[in-house]
Amino acid sequence: MRRTDDMPLDPEIAAQLDAIDATLAGEPVDPQYAELAELALLLRDERPAVDPDFASSMDRRVAQRFAGAPASDSAATPRFSLPWREWMRPVAGIAAGLAVVAAVVVAVGPGGGGSSASSSSAASAPATTSASSAAPPQRRALSGSSGSATPGSAASGSAGSGSGSGSAGSSSAPSSAGALAFPSPPNATPTPNGRKIVQSAQLALGAPANRIETVAQEVFDVAGREHAVVNNSNVTAGGGGSAQFQLSVPSSALAATMSALSQLHYANVVSRTDGTQDVNGQYLSDVRKLNDARALRTSLLKQLAKATTQEQIDSLNARIRDAEASIRSDESTLNGLNHKVDFSQVEVNIDSAAAPVPSHGSGHSGFTLGRAAHDAGRVLTVGAGVALITLAVLVPLALIAALAWWIWSAVRRRRREQALDLA
Amino acid sequence: MMEMPAPAVAEGTSSWERFEALYRASRDDVFAYVTTLLRDRAAAEDVTALAFERAYRRRRTFDRRRGEERAWLFGIARNAALDELRRRRRLATLVTDPSDPGAEEGLVSDPEDVSLRRTAVRDAVASLSARERELVALKFHAGLANSELARVLGVSESNAGTMLHRTMQKLRKACDATD
Repeated sequence: MRRTDDMPLDPEIAAQLDAIDATLAGEPVDPQYAELAELALLLRDERPAVDPDFASSMDRRVAQRFAGAPASDSAATPRFSLPWREWMRPVAGIAAGLAVVAAVVVAVGPGGGGSSASSSSAASAPATTSASSAAPPQRRALSGSSGSATPGSAASGSAGSGSGSGSAGSSSAPSSAGALAFPSPPNATPTPNGRKIVQSAQLALGAPANRIETVAQEVFDVAGREHAVVNNSNVTAGGGGSAQFQLSVPSSALAATMSALSQLHYANVVSRTDGTQDVNGQYLSDVRKLNDARALRTSLLKQLAKATTQEQIDSLNARIRDAEASIRSDESTLNGLNHKVDFSQVEVNIDSAAAPVPSHGSGHSGFTLGRAAHDAGRVLTVGAGVALITLAVLVPLALIAALAWWIWSAVRRRRREQALDLA
Repeated sequence: MMEMPAPAVAEGTSSWERFEALYRASRDDVFAYVTTLLRDRAAAEDVTALAFERAYRRRRTFDRRRGEERAWLFGIARNAALDELRRRRRLATLVTDPSDPGAEEGLVSDPEDVSLRRTAVRDAVASLSARERELVALKFHAGLANSELARVLGVSESNAGTMLHRTMQKLRKACDATD
């Protein structure tokens, strides 16, 4: 039935209703309502009486607090009679699952690096923090990768016209400097296709101050193993501690060398930059120049053989000397270029300031008030993030569930009323 | 029974004690209401039992601010009875008017004119629609006050009074026609 506005009753109707109530209460009524009172009493007398057996059965069940089976008429039990605790269980499970997922997302997501160690290291390389966060956690990922140019430079190199327009490209892959964290290495390797390409790389490592010398020795070991030449080195122990290396690495071993340098025991990668330069045009130009010089000398020698006067001979000899000087110069240039192609320049910088803070042990106390406050703030931030994400997911779900429940209740109420109308 | 006042349970009593008092005060009223609505004593017994069991399970959810316990109980009984009516419709079973042994026994000892009057009233009630019959059951068999009746039906009190008045008018006409 629809609820209507609560309008005041007609006085006559109200009087009749009062007469009915008075009759049922055993009170006297106005004679004008005698017929109505008689009808009310007759209707009351039509009240179905409870069977004594049923009454005693009910009394027993109530005394036992409805223990055991549910109501005897299972058919009368509604189809959706689950107590709220029953359907709350899966809802609570889903909510807990979402909270866990949210926590994981926040923890591993951008800016969600775990310990204070990585955070402090990230601060040392602020421009690169966000790029490093999504990096694979294992620096072993570097294995087999080659230091190489960005795709743009590779394309430029391979599609070049050979006129010396080779382009140099570099790629920066800095790290968040976690002990095991390393960004995706630049793995776009230029395809030489017979062209001359000069490669170079810079590697910045972080290491504890007391491990600088050990790490420096490891660099020497790698250089020796890969037949690289240490052109220049500078190792400073004590104090802050740092080391610099200039290596000439056979280009064929550049990838293996970079991989080995990135996996030193006591160092972590802070940043890595790989570069390439296509020098094919310059190489061809130099070769052409050399060939021209050689051809000139051959021609001059032939002219010298045919020369008849001393003046001609002297002039040709002078020109031959110039040609040979030019040949030597061109050969030197060409050899230098070939050396650059065959040996890649690798610059390694090791800095103790970029070393990660050890999570435990390693000689000094891991607890400071500032670090504790930082960690507490981090925990609160992550907690707030989890709560926010969970709310963002649960609130719409709760609204949908509430709407569905409201619709279901309305439909059920309507069906019940229909059942009454059709009875 | 019908004239039994609402259970007087002191504040601070347990939910079980409140329920037990409500059961003692309302059992026969609920049965009478459901029987009149369903016109089937056996089904009414099952629905009555189910209604009390539901009320027992939900006794802690009762909120006094939303009405008295009797109105709350009759709301549960009404839903159970309507679910039973729906179930019958789905099963398409024939429902026949129940014979009330108690009523038949009562007729034997009545004087003839009273007996005729009772028969007329019974026929008049039988001619009512289910909604009107429900009003009669709630008012005269369950003994609900108009405010409780309104709460059970989900209408305003004046609306419930108007509906009850119309039903009484219809019954009086039906009885007069029989006379």
